[in-house]
Amino acid sequence: MRKHSILGILVLGLLLMLVTCAKKSPNKLSSELLPLEGNPLVSFRILLNVGSANDPQRKEGLCHLAFSLLAEGGSKSLTYKEIQKKFYPMAAAVNLSVDKEMSVFTGTIHKDNLIEYYTLFKDMLLDPGFRQEDFTRIKTNQIDFLEKTLVGNRDEQFGKEILNLMMYEGHAFGHHEAGTVESLKSITLDNMKEFYKNHFIQGNIIIGLAGGYPEDFPQKVMEDFSVLPEGYTPHLALGEPRMPEGLEIVIVEKKTPATAISMGFPLPISRADDDFFALWIAGSHFGEHRQHLSLLFQKIREERGQNYGDYAYIEHFIQGRRKYPATNYCRQQQYFSIWIRPLANSNRHFVLRQALRELKNLVEEGIPKQRFELTRTYLLNYTKLYAQTLGERLGWQMDSHYYGYKDFLTEVQKRLPRITHEDVNRAIKKYLNYENIYIAVITEDGKSLKEALVAYTPSPISYANPNMPKDVLEEDLVIQTFVLDVKPEKVKIAPASEFFQKAGLPEGLE
Amino acid sequence: MLSQRSYGPVWARPQRMVCLAHKFLLYFSSQKMGTIYFLCSPRRFHEMTKFLSFTLCIFFLLSVAPALLHASTIFPYNYIIEELDNGLKVVSIPLQNPQIISYYTIVRSGSRNEIEPGKSGFAHFFEHMMFKGTKNVPREAYHDFLTKLGAGTNGYTADDYTCYFVVFAGRENLEEVIKTEADRFINLYYDEEMLKTEASVIEGEYYSSVSNPGRRLSELLRHTAFENHSYKHSVLGYLEDILDMPNQFEYSQLYRKRFYAPDNSILLVAGDFEHEKLMEYVEKYYGNWEPSSYPLITPKEPAQTEAKRAHYDWSTKTLPRLAIGFHGPAYSDEKIDKPALDLMAEIAFSRSSPLYQKLVIEEQKCLTLNAYFGDTRDPYLLIFNSIVKKDEDLPSVEEEIFKELERLKEEPVDERLLADVKSNIKYSFALRLGTTDGIAGSLADYINLAIDPGTVNKLFNLYEMVTPQDIQNMAKKYFLKTNSTVVTLTGGKAK
Repeated sequence: MRKHSILGILVLGLLLMLVTCAKKSPNKLSSELLPLEGNPLVSFRILLNVGSANDPQRKEGLCHLAFSLLAEGGSKSLTYKEIQKKFYPMAAAVNLSVDKEMSVFTGTIHKDNLIEYYTLFKDMLLDPGFRQEDFTRIKTNQIDFLEKTLVGNRDEQFGKEILNLMMYEGHAFGHHEAGTVESLKSITLDNMKEFYKNHFIQGNIIIGLAGGYPEDFPQKVMEDFSVLPEGYTPHLALGEPRMPEGLEIVIVEKKTPATAISMGFPLPISRADDDFFALWIAGSHFGEHRQHLSLLFQKIREERGQNYGDYAYIEHFIQGRRKYPATNYCRQQQYFSIWIRPLANSNRHFVLRQALRELKNLVEEGIPKQRFELTRTYLLNYTKLYAQTLGERLGWQMDSHYYGYKDFLTEVQKRLPRITHEDVNRAIKKYLNYENIYIAVITEDGKSLKEALVAYTPSPISYANPNMPKDVLEEDLVIQTFVLDVKPEKVKIAPASEFFQKAGLPEGLE
Repeated sequence: MLSQRSYGPVWARPQRMVCLAHKFLLYFSSQKMGTIYFLCSPRRFHEMTKFLSFTLCIFFLLSVAPALLHASTIFPYNYIIEELDNGLKVVSIPLQNPQIISYYTIVRSGSRNEIEPGKSGFAHFFEHMMFKGTKNVPREAYHDFLTKLGAGTNGYTADDYTCYFVVFAGRENLEEVIKTEADRFINLYYDEEMLKTEASVIEGEYYSSVSNPGRRLSELLRHTAFENHSYKHSVLGYLEDILDMPNQFEYSQLYRKRFYAPDNSILLVAGDFEHEKLMEYVEKYYGNWEPSSYPLITPKEPAQTEAKRAHYDWSTKTLPRLAIGFHGPAYSDEKIDKPALDLMAEIAFSRSSPLYQKLVIEEQKCLTLNAYFGDTRDPYLLIFNSIVKKDEDLPSVEEEIFKELERLKEEPVDERLLADVKSNIKYSFALRLGTTDGIAGSLADYINLAIDPGTVNKLFNLYEMVTPQDIQNMAKKYFLKTNSTVVTLTGGKAK
């Protein structure tokens, strides 16, 4: 009897496995559903496990360009102009984000307009027009973005992108999602069609739907998308990113009164790992995004008024609604980073020293017990605000599954209370360091900064306030001579205009 | 002593706090559970709703959205407006969502209030000072409180007002939030040293967008278009005034006394709370806040009599930019001018407009083209913006915009296009109301302008009434060459 029971359980288990495997065939579509009966809105998230890391060499930017042509181009039956005309009365749009390993087409619509919107959305994705005029427009815009907007008008983002180039040189993540000027110029309409044919296939796609859609709607969407070829792009076998050896600095020169700094290094863990939770508390304490909680914010902005804000992250961070993290930017490999917002050129050396000294203190001394408790409580409560809109809820659901959780935000409520102070300090020691870091600096007169860094020149600063607190001034004396072990051969300088012309960092950096 | 105004159907007023939101929740939950609960008492009903899941409550928030398609109920939630003796107004929108409360403090202090020379950017500067704590709750304790709460919190400053928001989970935290917020508004404390340090942060904020030519163009447009009014300068202010902020301790005290007062402030609270409790705490903690009665008189802007033009040479490479401004009307939910112009902006310059399609999609001369007509308390600008791809196309894009404005004067717009625009703005507004914070965030502008959220319904009623003839009339009235200011920006060769 007992034998039969065991056999029965085994057979059942096997059947269940078979069913599960059949359901989740890597060659076929999968779905993430969040039905909310009666809800008047419907949110779409058509997610592809394909991103800029799938760009072929010398065709960097192809994924972004190809998917932009779907989101901002016409279908076979309608021009983009005609689609926009139809979208307009519904206040509808198709939005796109492309990251390294993931791309997502999104839209939210009132259910009054669901079928009309979906028909257009579906045709844009499944039956794209690939018109030459759309291609030319989008390609020109992408080149202008790299050459003029990113390099010329967005120094904060520029700094973050230089850090990315440094961290992932020679790696599949080592180029901007938009590509390079040279590669974009070489991309043809046929390249786009080929990329679409190879990657816009069933096994790469997760159909995400949330809201008050009709019961049979997901089935209809699945059937429609089943016209796509079966198959999937093999999971990217990413190489190990090169860790920095000492302080590796790239100074980008441009005419500017302010200096933007980003620094960091690759991390061996992601949200999927147990240690993530402990390191998250450390990262939040050290530099929670745009919150007073951030230690860097307190020391650099609040105490000294150096700039608008200073933050740190233990995974790739894109700001979504308000200041909450955006979803669907999942990556197999993550990185630690510090973002110093622009500050007066005269104070750049001091603040660079200060940030690294704070990191050294964190690594050597850990997080104080009281701060540990405070930060953990903060995260337990703040994460309750993360998923408010339909799109956010669906996005968090999808990301949860990517990292192997049923529901990450629920997991947070279970896991964080179990994390101890010791866990956090152990994670800090294990994963963070202050001696081997990539540093990207966007500034004017890079030569003088290099000389000052290499020569270990003291970097005192002055304040508008003649009565600064004594403890701040005393600490300043320590910071202004804080030793940064900068080797001249590890400091490279290049003009801003040379970036993003070709893949990787510009050749022949001084 | 309170004066109270409540809105919505009689059965929904405070003495019988069974709001429309409850009804919707009840209705839909009863559909789901197959039980009719309409007959139960409000108390029993309230107890039941406390146990409904977060999902259901989100569903509730959204479930009222179908009503949004009617202009008269574009803002469908019940609300109550109360006023304390000291002049503090409270706009309360209880939603029975068991998760989140959005607590907004709106102070009518913006760049509009910066009427004295050398004080541009002061409203924004003062927003920063408001995070310095009090003697009761010093800065560190204030931030620790918000941190423990896990609140989404910040402030922002606009032309007419400054908004401070605390978005948090858990109605049990409401009293503590009100107590702490009231304390910082009534008892704010900072010394000259703290002010000097914070002034440097403003300089840092200026630097954080110093590489953005869009900001420079916008500053240039305002500076050129206005002669006297305080809208002449941006919210951030002129750099020379920012650099002088460390020396403005005394003025900061005067500024606070004038504008950080209950009779110049409005609380906007939406989410999971009981109105009576809210008012009990508000009276308890804000009751002793001293009014100001300062009569702000903004400088009168003379009528523009000739076309103006200015140019900015950006030192590094950038796409060229163009902005054209016309002096327009102030916000009104009674006059047709602004609503007609809003619809005109959509018809002529939205992504589906013929001009956008021509310049951005077909000829590809422009990266962007849009119209921005802000809602402000005093007459502001009707602005047309474009990022152009080549310097040499700037004149022809400018010409195309003026040509389009002339066409609007000569020909009535297509009725079908007008209907599409009316549909678009209603759906756009409806899509923003999906969460508690979406509701509060979407209302903040209107609360500053009119205090009563009902202004939104009045405005959308006006939108419904706008005819092609109205649009033509407004185009003739406002889009005169002599009322225009054109500013351009082109990039340089610097690396």
